[in-house]
Amino acid sequence: MSLFYRIVYVLFVFLIVFPLVYTLGAALFSDGSLNDHLTLLDKDTFVLLAKSCLIALSIALLSTIFGTVLGFLLYKTNVRLRNFFKIAILIPLFISPYILAVAWKDFFYLFFNNTGFISSYLGVILVLTSIFTPLSMIIIGSALSNINAQLEETGFVITNFHKVIFKITLPLIKPALMSSFVLVFIFSISEFSVPAFFGVKVFTTEIFTQFSAFYNHSLAILQSALLIFICIFLLFVERKHIANAPFLSVSAKGTSNKLYRLKNLKIVSQVFLFSWFSISVILPFVILFIQSFKNGIGKFIQAFELLIPTFGNSIGLAFFAALIIVIIGFVASFPIWNNTETKMGKSFTWILLIVFAVPSTIFGISLIKFYNHPMLDFIYSSYAIILIGYIGKFSFISAKLIGNAIKQIPASLDEAAQIEGITFFKRQRKILIPLIMPTLFVAFIISFIFSFGELGTTIMLYPPGTEIMPIKVFTIMANAPQSLTSSMTLIVFSVTLLIISSLYFIMKPFIIKL
Amino acid sequence: MSIIRLNNITHSYDAKPVLQDLSLNIEANQLTCLLGGSGSGKTTILRLIAGLEIPQSGKITIENKMVTEAQQIIMEPHQRNIGFIFQDLALWPHFTVYKNIAFGLSERKEKNIRSTVFKMLDFFDLQEHAEKYPHQLSGGQKQLVAISRSLVLKPKILLMDEPLASLDVKLKRKILGHIKNLKQNFDLSLVYVTHDHKEAFAIADQIVVLNDGKIEETGNVEQIKKSENEYVKYFLEY
Repeated sequence: MSLFYRIVYVLFVFLIVFPLVYTLGAALFSDGSLNDHLTLLDKDTFVLLAKSCLIALSIALLSTIFGTVLGFLLYKTNVRLRNFFKIAILIPLFISPYILAVAWKDFFYLFFNNTGFISSYLGVILVLTSIFTPLSMIIIGSALSNINAQLEETGFVITNFHKVIFKITLPLIKPALMSSFVLVFIFSISEFSVPAFFGVKVFTTEIFTQFSAFYNHSLAILQSALLIFICIFLLFVERKHIANAPFLSVSAKGTSNKLYRLKNLKIVSQVFLFSWFSISVILPFVILFIQSFKNGIGKFIQAFELLIPTFGNSIGLAFFAALIIVIIGFVASFPIWNNTETKMGKSFTWILLIVFAVPSTIFGISLIKFYNHPMLDFIYSSYAIILIGYIGKFSFISAKLIGNAIKQIPASLDEAAQIEGITFFKRQRKILIPLIMPTLFVAFIISFIFSFGELGTTIMLYPPGTEIMPIKVFTIMANAPQSLTSSMTLIVFSVTLLIISSLYFIMKPFIIKL
Repeated sequence: MSIIRLNNITHSYDAKPVLQDLSLNIEANQLTCLLGGSGSGKTTILRLIAGLEIPQSGKITIENKMVTEAQQIIMEPHQRNIGFIFQDLALWPHFTVYKNIAFGLSERKEKNIRSTVFKMLDFFDLQEHAEKYPHQLSGGQKQLVAISRSLVLKPKILLMDEPLASLDVKLKRKILGHIKNLKQNFDLSLVYVTHDHKEAFAIADQIVVLNDGKIEETGNVEQIKKSENEYVKYFLEY
């Protein structure tokens, strides 16, 4: 296993990390001095970076505030239908952001006949807040439900409700609030598809333009380096909380969670939850549906015909990417179980985290620059380069999910088998893997969905002539009538849901209920 | 005759010393209790004997064969002819009672696995539970399944790490009765870790009282009860 582990580690470093380091290093230090390159970064670049930071800051702040309210209502109170809302509100997180961007543009077009409001910085902030608030909600909700009830109950003996919340509960979840803020900030500043669709100039779209339209690779890479620096700096500051993120768990060890009874606020809370669900989930899809069919089914059929050639490629790519991502996640996590985690194992988790923090477009650029070489053409001009991109982007999530599941399985289950003489491979196959099967399945589904809808990396990497769903939608939507765009996004959304449901029913018999 | 010998064992976790130059002989066909409070090192001794931990220094022999020496495992846990009952019992939750017991036998490619398992289930009156999963059993039944799982592999030594910690008094008494009889029925040497001196007095042939990684006193029940050692007297007061 040790050999297999090393092979996976070396391959990951060579295929994914090395291109990133090589591209940045080459751009900064070769063909002239670093000072020469730095002169390319003018005042406009820094103004745009500041604007992008401000947008990301607003999204992170709003998402954390709304996420705290939603997390509190759903994880700490007896509000009605809380189990339903806990799942339903997560839906925007698993849908490609550009789908929601299309839906919101449709909304303004349909009701106001003017998309000026949404195609602005404020529009980007509102749409991305609706997408990232569920992420904040899980992070903060998990932290809230892990607070030992006795800590709050002791507070109630001494003081009133408000003081308990502000003096005990909130300070206890401070790490989760910080993690939520930092993660949403990184995701927002790295987001490409929503500002690109709205035609709003931010740092990621500027990098894309410099690289793809003006072929100004040096400037694009320098700008990328700035963005990577910001993301990695923030991750470094918050490294402890994010690296041990409990929210990336399929199930958590039971703690005695204190549930508050909502009295006067029950109706207000219920209305807030229902409104949030309606605005962030129901409304966008009703709008897409209306826009797709308002002039009959012609555009829908046309959209379907346009997307048919992409189905096989997109599903196949996402399937293989998810499979490899789960294997990498397992390999990076299993040493946790029998306490054999070495320095190499710990560095693997860190490498996964850093690559995860690199914005998609930048990651794509580095892979292109590295693999665009006659000797590596078999990767550059095939789907392999996209596969490498997806694996690099999403392996961290899979590793954390699987790692957290493994942490919850007592080491004694392995030791008992060890004493009975069960071989290492058989212990993994017969004990560890069956016990974490639900998590492996969830990791597979999440990796599949993320890979299936990933636009930022794909748009940089797709070889000419390849047919991939998000690219097809994105390239056509620029010039197509609104109803065709809506139909295409509705189809992508429906296909995503269909695949998730099918995978669930296929895998259900293999998931052991414990 | 000693079946297990620990010579000059020193062990620590993250630079925190747990055992300091500890030497201990455990006699064959006896039930030896390692008695001590939290952090006294009793579980560590058990894990070192099993080969689940490697000591920083010292050596361990089982049946006169060197199993651990100079920070190195010479004999793997499964080669030591031991059984281990963990504090949490470590029953595999996705296996039935039958599969939990048969798993080790199948790995050893034993013949007549089914009849061997059912003989064991019969001995502990567990036959009707063969197809149940651990979560469908009572606390006492789980204990007996864990013991069956170890005994079916015919170990010479059975190591038990506070296996009754989570049981009520009535059930504890019943299981202790079973444990007491294991020695004769299965030709075993038992090492039993506990922090409860009443439990130790009820079953032990030999008691080793541990404190801060050192042995304070060794003897049979009567000798321990009459010990003049200050720590032993203090420990037995509660």
